[in-house]
Amino acid sequence: MSLSSRGVLGLSASLLLAGCAFLPLPATAQTNSKSDQWIHVRVENKDNNGETVRVNVPIEMAEKILPVINHDNLHNGKIHIDNAHLDDVDCRALLDAVRSAKDGEYVTVQSNENNVRVAKSGGYLYIHVNEKQPGERSAKHAESGKTETVKESKVEIKVPMKVVDALFSAGKDELDIVAALHALSLNGDTELVTVKDDQDTVHVWIDSKNISD
Amino acid sequence: MLFLAKAALGLGATAALAGVYVFHEGVIRVDVDENCANGSHVHVWVPATAVPIGLRVVPFHNLQKAAAQARPFLPALREMAKELNKYPNAELVDVRDPDQHVRVSVHDGKVYVDAVTDTENVHVSVPVQTLEDVADRLEDAAPGV
Repeated sequence: MSLSSRGVLGLSASLLLAGCAFLPLPATAQTNSKSDQWIHVRVENKDNNGETVRVNVPIEMAEKILPVINHDNLHNGKIHIDNAHLDDVDCRALLDAVRSAKDGEYVTVQSNENNVRVAKSGGYLYIHVNEKQPGERSAKHAESGKTETVKESKVEIKVPMKVVDALFSAGKDELDIVAALHALSLNGDTELVTVKDDQDTVHVWIDSKNISD
Repeated sequence: MLFLAKAALGLGATAALAGVYVFHEGVIRVDVDENCANGSHVHVWVPATAVPIGLRVVPFHNLQKAAAQARPFLPALREMAKELNKYPNAELVDVRDPDQHVRVSVHDGKVYVDAVTDTENVHVSVPVQTLEDVADRLEDAAPGV
């Protein structure tokens, strides 16, 4: 082999090695399987010229990170509730009763201002609140004699009972957030919270996609 | 002549290998552009390998001080970096309004923070591995704090 051939070979090898440095990292870390569940939060605000906030977090990551955060009432992935007997209502006992009860409508309130429905069905706890508030009476309304506008807000919460079980599986006056997240991840795709009113839309759900729609 | 060629080849190969090592963890990139008259434009590219090496040469007492201050956040940082390795491509946070757009995402094993406003554009990218290295090194410097 001539000297020039060796030189070309050496130079080629050097360039090849240098080129390798700019290649992406090996794909060994790409373990994003279909079973991975993500919790998504989307908040849309019609005020402020339409602000939108989207948060997507892998549930497994949240399960790992929460236990190492110790701040205020959050310790080891559990939230300590200072006063579980809120206004002489034992929330824990109340939820225990709901958990052990059969499916059915537990609370139904219908009035001109509020519609509230709390029910348990098919392993899910449903809380629906529909609130109507009289809005500001505008000058236009006053002139025309029309009735004032009504502001309506709608809250729909759907929680798997297994998650409720996991949430209250810790000791007294504690909510086990990590256990609840784990139960959520096993539950599959779920719509958790939807809040809609004149200004804001909040949507919290779980699926296996790593981006919100 | 032959000796010179061999020397050049050896030097070239060494430089290439050094380049491979220096850049094998990727590059930390910081770009800041102010959109105004006389606004500053800062563009910094640093090999990610330089960070753990830099942490090795920092005087230990200085590292201990920094580690003690950062200690409450280090376990969370380390766990987050470990977990992010499992999700090489993801959009974590996206905040958008007419005046600004902030985005935190992971792409090809790098964490990207992009903030675009009317007045300035900031783009930062850091390899996830570097975050893990920093958290580990700082925790080593302040064990049991």
